[in-house]
Amino acid sequence: MEPVTAQVLAKDRVGEWIERLMAEAEVIAPVLAHGGDEVFAPIRSPGEVLWEFTNPVHPPKRFLLPQTDPVVAIRRGDNGYELEAIVDERRRVLLNVRSCDVAGLAFLQHVHAADLPDRSYLERAAATTIVCLSCPDPCPLGFCICSGAGPFAREGYDLQLSDIGDLLLAEIGSERGGELLAATDGFFRPATLAEMAQRQQLEEKAKQLLSEQTCHFASAMRRVSTGRVAEDLWRKMSDWCLECGACNFVCPTCFCFSVKDRHNGDGWLRCRTWDSCQYPAFTLEASGHNPREERRDRIKRRFFHKVSAQYYQRDGMVGCVGCGRCVEVCLGTTDMPAVVAAIRKGEWHG
Amino acid sequence: MDSLFLPGVARILDVRDETPDTKTFRVVLRDRAAHDGFEFQPGQFVELSVFGCGEAPFCIASSPTRPEYLELTVRRAGQLTDALHRLGAGDEIGLRGPCGNGFDVAAAAGKDLVFVGGGIGLPPLRGLIWNVLDQRERFDRVTVLYGARTPNDLVYKDELKRWAERSDVEVLVTVDRGEPGWDGIVGMVPVLFDRTELHPRTSLAFVCGPPVMITFVIQDLLMRGFADHAIISTLERMMQCGVGKCNHCAIGHRYVCRDGPVFSYSQIKELVE
Repeated sequence: MEPVTAQVLAKDRVGEWIERLMAEAEVIAPVLAHGGDEVFAPIRSPGEVLWEFTNPVHPPKRFLLPQTDPVVAIRRGDNGYELEAIVDERRRVLLNVRSCDVAGLAFLQHVHAADLPDRSYLERAAATTIVCLSCPDPCPLGFCICSGAGPFAREGYDLQLSDIGDLLLAEIGSERGGELLAATDGFFRPATLAEMAQRQQLEEKAKQLLSEQTCHFASAMRRVSTGRVAEDLWRKMSDWCLECGACNFVCPTCFCFSVKDRHNGDGWLRCRTWDSCQYPAFTLEASGHNPREERRDRIKRRFFHKVSAQYYQRDGMVGCVGCGRCVEVCLGTTDMPAVVAAIRKGEWHG
Repeated sequence: MDSLFLPGVARILDVRDETPDTKTFRVVLRDRAAHDGFEFQPGQFVELSVFGCGEAPFCIASSPTRPEYLELTVRRAGQLTDALHRLGAGDEIGLRGPCGNGFDVAAAAGKDLVFVGGGIGLPPLRGLIWNVLDQRERFDRVTVLYGARTPNDLVYKDELKRWAERSDVEVLVTVDRGEPGWDGIVGMVPVLFDRTELHPRTSLAFVCGPPVMITFVIQDLLMRGFADHAIISTLERMMQCGVGKCNHCAIGHRYVCRDGPVFSYSQIKELVE
């Protein structure tokens, strides 16, 4: 018998299913927050979960890589300092994560597992279940199709849900996803061929809707990787960057950090905190020397890390999932599609 | 899987003044087994914690051939180093590492070795120099060329004398600006190249110092016939994690903390900023 790869759940039973999930783990989903913002947050009841929403301006990365993340507890004991690694193995379910953010989490998983494995990230990630909600109506600023990160996820999820009318179709993306369905005996039944076809049509339609979005990574990659972008072009673009770091903080693939000690009772917590490559102090050395003193050098650095072939080979994907958040938050105009277009055309008009 | 961020606690045994703003700290890991198991190469570095202040990278200035303790030579330049300079014998710090690649000592066997240090750039070379001197028969000629701004800025003054007294090491020291009482050579480090006999085809040159000095010294060595791969240097960048994750020390897609800090000039030329 063929392994069952998709199952369906009647929408009127979704609440019960989520309650089951909540009994086992902290469930984090898009909810309506104070002031009308739609944000990812831990839910208190299944009714809070949004099923139609604008993708929140902050991706769910902060649940795996918090802005301030304690990694070591430092205490002064009777016989000198006592140090202890802090490990967060709390079980979490990230529910209704869009395909772009699923790709972002896959990227973060890769960089933290590569070379020296980073336990503080990996253990938190290992305890986190990712439930994707596919995108039949792509968002206006997104260009996920250009980086192969959407509108439907191909990998990186435990379950992928698609809205097919009165039913949710759930594709199993991992062993854990399969167990999640097996544990909720009675809620789900195997999908029929017709239901599978329905999901397929949704994806085709969504791809057509996205077909006008263009961000030509391959073309920009050729130029960035071989240093064939005029210094003057970086300078012109950097005039439009306000060095606020917003693009970094909302980016699902940005992970640069600093390490700081914070007071905590009698001791300290050593924390990693988000940092931004667009800040002048990011590369400032104690001697006063700064290899990336100029703003143009910093913007150049950001896009080398994002789209160069060197990093593509190292990370297996471009460092952009096409979510469009940098387009939304940039106070200037130096967002990903704009910069990629400028690199490709060799000109910048602000 | 151990945490990448968990330091070991180390105890300061002794602090020595090198210059008015530079001290050498002699330390051991508090856990004896951890200390005995701490294996490193010259040129590697540690992330040093001053608890409550944070951590910063410093090269190991001692040699693995003298494993009883580690030595770190630190100039007071910022918050953390200022706090470190206020610590003394018996105080505890954190050490994480060793980090980075280190010098390839085996590849230097049988060669003439020229060490070129500037200012606070001598400490990374010092570990390698003692490593070489402790197994002197494995190498051919050994030359140490060192310069600092003023006589006051010279580190390891006693050791420079001890090395100079040996018949199997040539030591030349210069200062940018002389002072009353200084009867040695005056001038930038490259002036020393004219005062010694260089053998570019059989030599490896190890160059360490401030960025400007490295640039001039490398150009000079190239003009004198050294091949790109025979010039070995260490690069410095602002670092946070020391384990290739935080991205502060990236040069192109290379990380000074993982791919370096030791690079040959042929590698340095390939780095795309």
